[in-house]
Amino acid sequence: MADGTTFKIDGQEVTAKPGQTILQAAMDQDIYIPYLCYYPKMKPQGSCRACMVEVEANGRTMTVASCTTPPMPDAEVATNTDAVKELRRDIIELLMTEHPHGCLTCHRIELCGPQDICQRHVTVTDRCTICPKNERCELKDTVRLVELDLRTPLNYHRRDLPIHADDPFYDRDYNLCIVCSRCVRVCDEIRFDTALTLTSRSGVSLVGTSHGTSLLESGCEFCGACVDVCPTGALTEREYKWEKAFTEVTTVCTNCPVGCQMIVEVNKFGKVIRFKGDLGGAANNGQACMTGKFGYEYTNDSKRLKRPYVREGGILRKATWDEALERIKQGLGDRAASELAVITSPRGSNEDQFIAAKFASSVLKTPNIDSALNSNSALLSRLEERLGAGAATNPIWDIENSKSLLVVAGNPTEEQNVLSVPAKKAVREGAKLVVIDSRETELTRYAAEWLRPKPGSEALLIAGISRAILDEALENKEFVGSRIENGEELKQSLWTFDLAKVSRDTGIEDAQIRRAARIFAESDAGAILLGNDGLYTAAAEHLVDAVVDLAAITGNIGKASGGIFPLYQGANTLGARDMGATPGENGLDISGMIAGMSRGEVKAALVMADGVSGYSPTLTGLPSALEKLEFLVVSAALDSEITHHADVVLPAATYAEQNSTVTNVERRVQMIRITAETKHEEKTGWETIAAIGNAMGGSGLDFASSSEVFAEITGNIPNYAGMSHESLQSGGIQWPLASSETSNGSDSSMLFADPESMVAVVTLDYAELAQSIESSALTFAPGRVLSQPERDVVVRKPADMNYVDREQLVQIHPDDAKAAGLNEGDMIQVKTDDDHVLVRGRAVFESPQAGLVGSTTLFGELATRMHELDAADWSPQMPGLGYSAVTLESAPAEQEAGAAAD
Amino acid sequence: VGSTDNYPADPEYQRPPPPETTGNTDQMPTIFEELQARAAKRWDELTSGESAWIRVGGGTSGQAVGADAVFDAFKSSVESTGVNANVSMVSAMGLMYLEPQVDVLMPNGSRVFYGNVEPEEAQTIVEQHVKNGEPLIDRAYAYSGGDGSGVGNLPELSSLPMVALQHRIATRNFGETDPHDLLQYVANGGYQALNRALTEMTPEEIVDEVKAAGLRGRGGAAFPAGVKWSFLAPSTAPVKYVLCNCEEGDPGAFNDKGIIENDPHTLVEGLIINGYATRSTHGYIFIRTGHELPIESVRKAIAAAYEAELLGKNILGSDFSFDMEVSLTGDSYVAGEETALMEAIEGKRATPRFKPPFPAAAGLWQKPTNINNVKTLAYVPEIVRNGSDWFKSIGTETTSGTAIVCLSGHITYPGMYEVPMGMTIREVLEKIGGGVSEGERIKVLQAGGPLNGLLGEEAFDTMIDFDAMSAAGASIGSGGIIVGNETTDVVDLLRSLIAFNQFESCGKCFPCRLGNTHMLEILDRMCQNKAKSADLALLERVGTSMKAGSLCGHGQLGFNPIASALKYFGDEIISTLAGEIAPGGVYGDGTMILPTRTRP
Repeated sequence: MADGTTFKIDGQEVTAKPGQTILQAAMDQDIYIPYLCYYPKMKPQGSCRACMVEVEANGRTMTVASCTTPPMPDAEVATNTDAVKELRRDIIELLMTEHPHGCLTCHRIELCGPQDICQRHVTVTDRCTICPKNERCELKDTVRLVELDLRTPLNYHRRDLPIHADDPFYDRDYNLCIVCSRCVRVCDEIRFDTALTLTSRSGVSLVGTSHGTSLLESGCEFCGACVDVCPTGALTEREYKWEKAFTEVTTVCTNCPVGCQMIVEVNKFGKVIRFKGDLGGAANNGQACMTGKFGYEYTNDSKRLKRPYVREGGILRKATWDEALERIKQGLGDRAASELAVITSPRGSNEDQFIAAKFASSVLKTPNIDSALNSNSALLSRLEERLGAGAATNPIWDIENSKSLLVVAGNPTEEQNVLSVPAKKAVREGAKLVVIDSRETELTRYAAEWLRPKPGSEALLIAGISRAILDEALENKEFVGSRIENGEELKQSLWTFDLAKVSRDTGIEDAQIRRAARIFAESDAGAILLGNDGLYTAAAEHLVDAVVDLAAITGNIGKASGGIFPLYQGANTLGARDMGATPGENGLDISGMIAGMSRGEVKAALVMADGVSGYSPTLTGLPSALEKLEFLVVSAALDSEITHHADVVLPAATYAEQNSTVTNVERRVQMIRITAETKHEEKTGWETIAAIGNAMGGSGLDFASSSEVFAEITGNIPNYAGMSHESLQSGGIQWPLASSETSNGSDSSMLFADPESMVAVVTLDYAELAQSIESSALTFAPGRVLSQPERDVVVRKPADMNYVDREQLVQIHPDDAKAAGLNEGDMIQVKTDDDHVLVRGRAVFESPQAGLVGSTTLFGELATRMHELDAADWSPQMPGLGYSAVTLESAPAEQEAGAAAD
Repeated sequence: VGSTDNYPADPEYQRPPPPETTGNTDQMPTIFEELQARAAKRWDELTSGESAWIRVGGGTSGQAVGADAVFDAFKSSVESTGVNANVSMVSAMGLMYLEPQVDVLMPNGSRVFYGNVEPEEAQTIVEQHVKNGEPLIDRAYAYSGGDGSGVGNLPELSSLPMVALQHRIATRNFGETDPHDLLQYVANGGYQALNRALTEMTPEEIVDEVKAAGLRGRGGAAFPAGVKWSFLAPSTAPVKYVLCNCEEGDPGAFNDKGIIENDPHTLVEGLIINGYATRSTHGYIFIRTGHELPIESVRKAIAAAYEAELLGKNILGSDFSFDMEVSLTGDSYVAGEETALMEAIEGKRATPRFKPPFPAAAGLWQKPTNINNVKTLAYVPEIVRNGSDWFKSIGTETTSGTAIVCLSGHITYPGMYEVPMGMTIREVLEKIGGGVSEGERIKVLQAGGPLNGLLGEEAFDTMIDFDAMSAAGASIGSGGIIVGNETTDVVDLLRSLIAFNQFESCGKCFPCRLGNTHMLEILDRMCQNKAKSADLALLERVGTSMKAGSLCGHGQLGFNPIASALKYFGDEIISTLAGEIAPGGVYGDGTMILPTRTRP
């Protein structure tokens, strides 16, 4: 298509961008043409025909759908001729015959105020006022725009279908559906889940789930994208379903490091009532996930801590801030540095982290400070050593154009959800995906090659892939020749990685290693999504080394749609590291602190507990460790197993009650914006710590606002130099800002973009890499996928809600079965060393490796569990897929029928 | 909806190695010459040897009324009688009122045709006619060939008006050859056009030839085929598709299926030439699931063509390679819309795409694509073989060639007849069809499928020609003409047609999905004498928004039956609306079995 087609809309000259349709060009110029099936960022559909316009070009006049028609040069488009208006009105009138619309066409509408009692001109089920989307309904706006009069009405039929309120998080009322298929298309085109589909045809065409039953088995990831695009009340969030938005605020989700920009709807009482992915969000492109879309409401919880508490006589009693600070001063003061610990919140803003770091070093003078979910510390710090940044080298949405992808030891679909969206898009567009993971995750279903190695042998396997690339001379010779500092040494070290040996030690056939190598090396741009699930520090470091070397020899560093994306936990873990809220010299990291508490070496601690949960795999020991402390201060929004052991509990403000900044995986510093003032005595993280610091005689902790704190940050942290709260208002900035002399202070979307920049590789040592291979006899690698169409699933509905009901299968290797005296088909159980039963089910010989035990569950089961969890802030309690050393045994007979335990 | 059927199973089909060539290759017969020689031998065996040849008309029209049993009866009679005769199931002649029909070709070249043959008659015919040389004159309806002796006063086949008035091009082999025998097709001039195309003509010349012939698309839109081909030809994309549309879901239309089941090679040859002319790489023949005979027939033809090097790599030794397969869809009328058809082949819901992009730019799997109707392609071999001037000389100024008309309903001689364009509807009805079959007069015609119009008597003198028909408010469309006598209730007929359209709407675009539903509801009301005075205006308003607002032809044309009915039967409709005449002629009480998926 020619670029910049110039034409006229209603006499106004308009230039369409290449590829734009008439409707898109009109929207750019704020010319409104009604539409119902079109949605920004989705392919045009041409269903609703509400956007019909008249086009005069080359002497012909045509009536066309503006959403699908590209403009012709010099065409004259008329959006409001009488004929077009009439056609539009007639089409909308047809639509009204299957959509409840009583209020819209009631002759009293002019007189009827929002809260008026209906004078019974309209039957109850047809009233707009009983629709959850009343006054935010796109259909209603369109009806008003086309001035529907319905003087000679067609018969109206209500579908009279039951409302689906039996799946987690959102309701589906297909009586209100207009079959625009936005939800079906967003699920397919944008999310690649195809959990929704169109059913039947003709007048009874409708939307349904992919298996015709429940969302739980349909492949739904409960991201809520369908709810966000629905123009009517057919799809609505269950929480606050009937609430009307009073204001909208743009903010950032603080559940994971993707940092999705969200539109928050707030009602007139200041309650946060809805989260929607912001189409303008650079990190998420309008998308969100289950935790982001539905996990926001804890801020509204009635059990929010409103004031400080201090422990007296074994119970926590209400106290004033002054009392509390006095107690803290006594509890934390006069202790040796090694007895103290500060744990910051994974959701804590950069301002919080900065003040916490300052407090730890200048007031407590302890090096023991870490962010609670900094469990991937080795991953990030090694990446920082190797590439100068413990963060993604490229922007997230670069991934959608990658030609190959390598996902290692991570489960982005569940833990960094929106990061998996561009990855799935790339695969849909033809990119080949290689997954290296012993667990079955959603992405293994998209993989061209799924390498399922012995746990712990991932680094060795990556080195093997590099070796195979060299074997077949597939390395990027230009990059290796000009941008790698010590390429020859690396090559020399890789020659020791004999593929037969690698194959034996990883359990992956060398042919598959070669196939994976070809996929990655032969593509133009390959991105690596790198996790360290199940790996201890040294193993994670080796993995980073091997991955950076692989990216370097294939020329994927400093290349668009290439790069490395670390998969770590905690929304602002990167910000915490940037702010220095990490262990100082000889300081304890988070696991060190937990161990230190358990041993009684760490005696007093400050825990910023927002988003901290004992359910996180690396924090499972935290609650019991806290019990051993002599003195514990917890700043929390809600009561939890962390606050139970506290001597002082301070009320914390949530994300909704502060203006502050967080830094996401792609180094984007973004603004969290205040949606409601705190109502009681809650304080934000930095305010809390500053108050404690000041009470303990600290200095330099007095700030009037978070933007003042940020100003100090920018003065102290080089990567943040040049930023301010003001400059972050529009979408955020990726650090580091290039120095103003070279490139006008623009931000760095990609590292190593300078073609002169050099990448240092390190040599790899076979023995070192092989060391981390799991030595335990049996390792349990749990899996979870969105859907398993090849297996029967029964959905039960014992009461109001649906439940997945199916036999649990345990994948074992025949050798291990033999050793344990088990047969295929036996009911078995998988037990940890401390006799905790992880899973119970029927044994199938499907494990590819001796020593590897697997079991795959459905995401729908997890969604149900999260939905039912009796915790306002449930998202930190999402269980990950952690590895465990286990034994196998026959399930006790009486428990055979029982479902899997946790 | 829609599934692709990978056929032949092995895309890397390995040919037997070419025979060792020794000496002067100019002397060697070409692959095609060898094929022709084999075909001629086969045809000679059947027609000029010592044996008689008994041909039983097959196809859906024959087999539906027992042709299989008749065929078996003749086989066993020949065996038990011990006469020297071949028995073949050949294609149907198109004279469907005579099915099952059998003809006997004696070694002396005399051929006698029997109609409505019962299996029990086989023994008599074999004994008396084949063995004793005495045709059963009373049971026969025509003869051909021979010296005219021994056939009594039987008329010659070509003198029958329903044969004499035909001009058979696409249906030239009907009743003559076994559709499953490639050699019989080749013996009757088959694949000469392809050979000529590959050896003597450039792709551009073929496109020009098709353009010059004035061949217009027979799928309904009547777009010049050569022009359509020329949209695809220039593209240099490495993969290009030519598709053949045999969804043919119109009630009353069976000519596409007829061609495929009775002479599949003419379609296969046409599609290969289409592929060559547009430099395409793959061809798909898209048939609706359930059309079992056509599916089987064309699959066998494709397999035979691969075997004979007429398909696959280096066709007939040329440097042109082309693959072909059959793709099936589920029950969906809209799958016959060209872009919906592509969606169906891709394995998706058969819903139409918006245009642009047009198929020639981004069609099947977003590759450049051409799509033609079965009938259009079936003319192509004869056009290439005989030249565009020959084709242009048949038919009218604006529509050259023939129309393949399917007559059904209240007509004396239902069948499939290929007539030159320009013949009037009345001629077809009266001379070929033999007039009304029961009742007194023909009142109404449903021509060209349920998206096209109804015609009343004043339109019967319309020429069969794309432009004249559309001026009359109807269309040749699919070629089906359903005849209704004076007892046919127009409103009830409209209700049936709209019920079909409503049921078959894919449900994608709002005007078609909802408009058809409401039109049906209003017609239903009229049929039950419950119409409101505003209903006609309402129908027209819904129809207008469907026409202007719908995404594809299914909705855009959906009001045609009502619009044309208002033109020819306006008084009857208005009287029905006013309650002056009782509606529901056929069903009397106004009841009708509606398709199951309409809204209750």
